[in-house]
Amino acid sequence: MLIQVTRTGGFAGISRHHEVDTEGREDATEWESLAQEVLAATPDAPPSGVPDGFRYRITVGDRTVYCADPDLTGAQRTLVSRILKEGA
Amino acid sequence: MQPRTNEDGLHPVFCTIVPPHVLDKLSHSGDARLADPARRTLEADGLRRNRRRLTALAAAPATPTAGAVPVKPHRTLYDCENGTSLPGRQVRDEGQKPTSDASVNRAYAGLGATFELLLSAYGRSSIDGKGLPLIGSVHYGHEYNNAFFDGEQMVFGDGDGEIFLDFTYAIDVIAHELAHGLTQYTANLRYEGQSGALNESVSDVFGSLVKQYSLGQSAEQADWLIGAGLLAPRVSGDALRSMKAPGTAYDDDVLGKDPQPASMEEYVETEEDNGGVHINSGIPNRAFYLLATALGGNAWERAGQIWFDVLTGGELTATADFAEFARLTVAAAGDRFGERGEREAVLKAWSEVGVPTAE
Ligand SMILES: [Zn+2]
Repeated sequence: MLIQVTRTGGFAGISRHHEVDTEGREDATEWESLAQEVLAATPDAPPSGVPDGFRYRITVGDRTVYCADPDLTGAQRTLVSRILKEGA
Repeated sequence: MQPRTNEDGLHPVFCTIVPPHVLDKLSHSGDARLADPARRTLEADGLRRNRRRLTALAAAPATPTAGAVPVKPHRTLYDCENGTSLPGRQVRDEGQKPTSDASVNRAYAGLGATFELLLSAYGRSSIDGKGLPLIGSVHYGHEYNNAFFDGEQMVFGDGDGEIFLDFTYAIDVIAHELAHGLTQYTANLRYEGQSGALNESVSDVFGSLVKQYSLGQSAEQADWLIGAGLLAPRVSGDALRSMKAPGTAYDDDVLGKDPQPASMEEYVETEEDNGGVHINSGIPNRAFYLLATALGGNAWERAGQIWFDVLTGGELTATADFAEFARLTVAAAGDRFGERGEREAVLKAWSEVGVPTAE
C-alpha cells in the first residue's frame, strides 16, 4: 500500500511531498491501520484552513483526503508527521 | 562586537542590528560583560518603542476612534510547551514583567509594536479598531517550522534548527500574523488566488512596516525582506521573501529557490498553496516597495496610509484581484493627497509590475 502526503502552504509557502510504500515492510500493518483510521475520519474535500496554516493532502492507494492545521486529529497528526519525516 | 551607550546614557546596550537570537545566546552567556548588555538591549528595545509611542500619540491628530477606545494593547502570551493544544498555558499578561523565556518576550514586544503602529500611524485601536486583546502562543508543536493566525490568535513554532529557527525571531513575521487579523476584520480578502495573494501581501507590507517603524528606518534604509534571521545558518539565503526583489530571497539545496514572481508576466498558476498565495504576493509586494521608495521618507506614512485606506475603506471586495486593489490605491492616493505626486507614483508602481489600473 502506497501512502503519500503532500504538505502545502505555511508561512514560507514551500511544498513538501513524501511517501511510504508499506509493501514488504516489517511495520506494514502498523502503517496500514494508521492510514485506515485517518481515511475513516477525514473528508474528501479540502477544509478552508487558516492563514499561513499547513494544508495536507493524504493519498492512500486510490483514495485522497484533506486536512489542515491546526485542526488535526491525533491520527492525522501522527500520520502526516511520520510520512514527512520517514518517507522518501 | 562592542557594547555602546544607549540614548539615555544609562547603560551600555548592543546596537539593535545584532539579531535577537544572538542576543539571546549572549544574554544566557556566563560572561557578565556580554550577558548583561545583551539582556538590557532586549529589554531596552521594548522601552524605546514605548517612549516613541507616547511621543507619537501626543502628536497624532485627533481621530474619531482615538479616545473612545483603548489606546493601550492588551496582550496575553501562552506557552504550548511543544504540544498542539491552543492556546496553552498562560505565561505573560499585559503589564507583567518579562519572563525568562525570550520567545514569550519577543512575541509580547512584537504584538506591542504592531498595536503601536496601527494606533499612532493610522489611529486604529488594535486589529478590530475597538482594542481587541491580542493573543499569542509560542513553542507550538515539536520543532514546528511555521507560524500562523488561526482566526483568533497568533501561533509560533520553534523551528527545527535545520531549516528554520524560532519564528518569534523576526518582528515582521509576528506583525505579519497580526496583520492577517487586521485583514480578517476589514476587507476579509478570500484566501485563494489573487485575493489570497493580496491577503498575504498586505500581511507582508504591514509586517515590514512594523519592523521599519520599530527600527526607525526610512524606505531607503529598510531591507524590505520578510523573515530575515529566520533561516538556520546552514541555509543559503537571506530571508523567506524579498519585497524589493521577489524571487531572490533564498536559493538552497533543501529549500529550493525562492519562487516569487516580480511582475505579472511571471504570475504563477498553481493548485498548491491555495493558488500560490505565498508566491504571487511578490507582485503587489514589489508594487508597494516601488511606491514607498519613489515617495521616500518613512514608508508607513504615505505609502502605508494609502494601503491602509484601501484595506479598511470598505470598497475593496473580498474576492478582489490585483487590478481592483491597484485601482483603489490610485483612488485612495488621490483622495488622501490630492493632485500631488503620490497618485502618479502609485500609477507608476503598478505599471512597473504589470498590473493594469485603468477601468
Ligand atoms: Zn501569511
